[in-house]
Amino acid sequence: MNKDEIPPGTLYLLILRTLARQGELHGFEIADSIQCTSEDVLQVEEGSLYPALQRMLIKGWVTAKWGTTAGNRRARYYKLTASGRKQLALEISQFQRVIGAITRVIQTA
Amino acid sequence: MQKAPELLRRISMLFHRNRFQSDLEEEMRLHLDLREQEQREAGLSRQAAHQAAYRRFGNPTAIKEKSQTTWGWNWLEDFFEDIRYGFRSMLRSPALTAVALLSLALGIGANTAIFSFLDAVMLRSLPVRDPSQLVLLGEGDDYGVTDSYGSTTLYSYPFYRQMQQENAVFSDVAAIYSTEHRVHGTIDGRDDVEEMHVHLVSGTYFPTLGVQPVLGRALTDEDDNTEGDHPVVVISYAWWKRALAGDPAVLNRKIKLGTTIFNIVGVAPPEFFGTKVGEAPDIWVPLSMMNSVPPGFNGYKDDFYQSMHLIGRLRPGVSREQAVSNVNVLYQQIIRAFPDANLNPRNIADLNKAHVVLTPMATGLSSLRHRFSDPLKILMGVTTLVLLIACANIANLLLARSTARVREFAVRQALGAGRMRLVRQLLTEGFLLAAVGGALGVGLAAFADRLLLRMISGGADTIPLDVSINLRLLIFNLAVTVATALLFGIVPALRGTRIELTEALKDGRGPSSGTSRSPIGKVLIIAQVAISLVLTVGAILFIRSLVNLTNVDTGFSRESVLRLEVDSNVTGLKSDDPRMIAMFQQIEQRVSALPGVKAASFASFVYGQGSWNTEIRVPAMEAREDINVKHNVIGNDYFAALQIPLLAGRTFGPQDTSTSHRVAIISESMAKDLFPPGINPIGHHYYTTMDPEPNADVEVVGIVKDVKFRNLQEPQQYIDYIPNPQHPWGYGNLAVRYNGDFTTISNEVQQAIHGIDQTMPISRITTLDQEVARSITNQRLVAQLSAFFGLLAVFLSCIGIYGLMSYIVSRRTNEIGIRIAIGASRADVRWLVMREIVLLVAIGTAVGIPVTLAGSRLVANMLFGMSGVSWISLVGSVAGLLLVGLIAGFLPAQRASRVDPMVALRYE
Repeated sequence: MNKDEIPPGTLYLLILRTLARQGELHGFEIADSIQCTSEDVLQVEEGSLYPALQRMLIKGWVTAKWGTTAGNRRARYYKLTASGRKQLALEISQFQRVIGAITRVIQTA
Repeated sequence: MQKAPELLRRISMLFHRNRFQSDLEEEMRLHLDLREQEQREAGLSRQAAHQAAYRRFGNPTAIKEKSQTTWGWNWLEDFFEDIRYGFRSMLRSPALTAVALLSLALGIGANTAIFSFLDAVMLRSLPVRDPSQLVLLGEGDDYGVTDSYGSTTLYSYPFYRQMQQENAVFSDVAAIYSTEHRVHGTIDGRDDVEEMHVHLVSGTYFPTLGVQPVLGRALTDEDDNTEGDHPVVVISYAWWKRALAGDPAVLNRKIKLGTTIFNIVGVAPPEFFGTKVGEAPDIWVPLSMMNSVPPGFNGYKDDFYQSMHLIGRLRPGVSREQAVSNVNVLYQQIIRAFPDANLNPRNIADLNKAHVVLTPMATGLSSLRHRFSDPLKILMGVTTLVLLIACANIANLLLARSTARVREFAVRQALGAGRMRLVRQLLTEGFLLAAVGGALGVGLAAFADRLLLRMISGGADTIPLDVSINLRLLIFNLAVTVATALLFGIVPALRGTRIELTEALKDGRGPSSGTSRSPIGKVLIIAQVAISLVLTVGAILFIRSLVNLTNVDTGFSRESVLRLEVDSNVTGLKSDDPRMIAMFQQIEQRVSALPGVKAASFASFVYGQGSWNTEIRVPAMEAREDINVKHNVIGNDYFAALQIPLLAGRTFGPQDTSTSHRVAIISESMAKDLFPPGINPIGHHYYTTMDPEPNADVEVVGIVKDVKFRNLQEPQQYIDYIPNPQHPWGYGNLAVRYNGDFTTISNEVQQAIHGIDQTMPISRITTLDQEVARSITNQRLVAQLSAFFGLLAVFLSCIGIYGLMSYIVSRRTNEIGIRIAIGASRADVRWLVMREIVLLVAIGTAVGIPVTLAGSRLVANMLFGMSGVSWISLVGSVAGLLLVGLIAGFLPAQRASRVDPMVALRYE
């Protein structure tokens, strides 16, 4: 099973997008979801989610509240805010610009 | 750029750190548990699942730290960490900490205390609206009354009125009587009189300053329009609280001054102390009531009763130059247009020379400023030097300690601490030390301020000067503290962390270690010795100057003379009333008759109480415009009371009455210099005024020895004495020569006075000796404080020498061991250390001597009876420093000589 590191700087994008798609998730679910959706290609060092989530909390992109999991354990659920959505749109357009540019460089004969 | 809500979230995190941390931990634990569970379900063993979960998660501790870093508070946490660590390391060496804190507290405290005086006397703005717009006409250094033409500091009331109405540059002008009146008055018609400080001001005073009363109304121009019919006063806040117990119905109360009853119409705000720093009037009275306030001057309508300072508030947009030219044009116009102006050639010449300057008035008037600005500046310099010595000391101690901590730093660096991190920690420790020292210093300053104020006041009544700790002082203190921390902290921090890791981690104290030579430490010691030399020589200069002053021949005998003041104004009599003249004589006789009293006499001036002086005219001698003769109106026994020797002729007696031939007694110098040579002045006539007016003609009947009149520093004065009946003076200064116990005599004298007039207020009971001592208050202050600081500086330098030498000896233990092993004697070793001290002190004094010589030139005008530094005091100071330096170094030297070579060498 060959896994690739995620490109630097895209962790926020992945988290934001995951939350946008799935609503409220806790950290473990976010990690699983990214891995699942990328069909196991993208590997995130799972722990690094947490500093990223803390930063997103400060920035106000997400809010968090405590709830209970299916297994009846306390878990912190993260949810996108309006400013988080705006940030997501920004990050996507940025990402696409970069990818587009890289693609053009690659394809230019 | 941070948005506000983001900052708020960060701050809320700071205050709920524990909850945020536990939340994070729980979240991460859940993650790991879920992952582990998943792996076990996939069939892994318990241990393998656990490992897999951690592998995928990463290092939880590192992640936790990283999460916390995102909150951006780690610098703060590091800071607190450093402070905690700093406290621990301070407590680990309590002796060093105590010495450092003590010297810092003294250094910072002394600086703060002196600065608080500098601030109060010289820097602080008046508590009025826009003080920077206020200007004073003239330089404001004269106080009193003058009738001379061309005065640009004191002005008459009519002059003020015209200036106020005709100028084009001030939004308003106010007149302020140049001196305060001390009046004995009564409140609400009660019997007991009390002393009140009364200040006469124009009605425009409060409006010009922009001071609003807290109760009632301020004085207005209406109160000052016509003479004598506006008996209103504004009282000070402090006096309202003190004398009237803060009575809310104060506006219904009345004050009686002299024979006039005044209504209280307002209370000034608490921070307003008037316009003269060092005086705090209780009562402000409009100038229109000048004649009703004892002693009842008659200057409201007199064009040449020049006794007022004028201040103006510059109109917005008017420059100082415009104002100066407008004022000077008006000055000439107004004075020359006075109908009674005596425009003789001499007065015209004086007027032509006159130029009114405008002095900024933002910091108010002050005679204190004149008297104390030089001493304060010098003391500020002295305390700064002491603080520098303290800094050098602490730098040395920290340097020594940081070298002792080399191992600790090496270990920490080996474990991955960055050098900057260590520097930061050492600086934090320095700041911590400085902060504690600074806080102690504030406490010390608060105490020292009160002590200094008492010393400056030089008597029972303290000068009303606000030197309490205020915000400005605290800022000053903080700045000083930070500066000291940087000064003494930065070198040890940089030096201490420059480490050869492998060398330092090896056990031992190799001679190769560069720090053992400690050149910085030595430079610091040299600087300390140099500064100490400057301060000791300075202290010796000031002390010798003080001794010279105390040994000055005053011309009178200052011991065993009781001095007091009576306020004869309460009798309501004019001074030329025969009953008044008789009363003074009666008091003199009654007091003289007391057992233990040898003589008693009134005088208009006894010592250091101002003067009344004019030019005189001696027939057959050329008029001398440059010489002013001081006149003293006295009772018959004045020379006996002060024991001023009579050199020729007679003293005054009962034969000298208001109707008898007018007589005078002159001083020795006056007889010698102002009378025709070769002629006995006795029997000679002269005029006590410039112009030969017949009623100023007096005959010399006696010659007395010269005396000091206003202060001890003054050159020889020309003085004449006039008997009271011939120039009645409503005086109050009584001098009593006595034998025996001061308190007993003082009580008896007071009873005798009250036996003649029950209501006569008696105040300022003291001795002549104390008054003479008081006149050299600031010289004594400077001498005492500079001696104190000089000793402190030497003491601190000794600690510095001791510290450095102990440190050097401990660093060189094995070198010394080798020396002893190969045959050096104990005495040789001791000399090895002592030689170093002698060298340091020698270099220090060599640096210090030129600085001292330059510095002594700066203070030359404050020295009395000597010309600069004498070689004896210089050599004495150098010898003294060397001696205490050797004493300080003796213990380390002794320790070095006792080094056991076996122990020293085995240690390697």
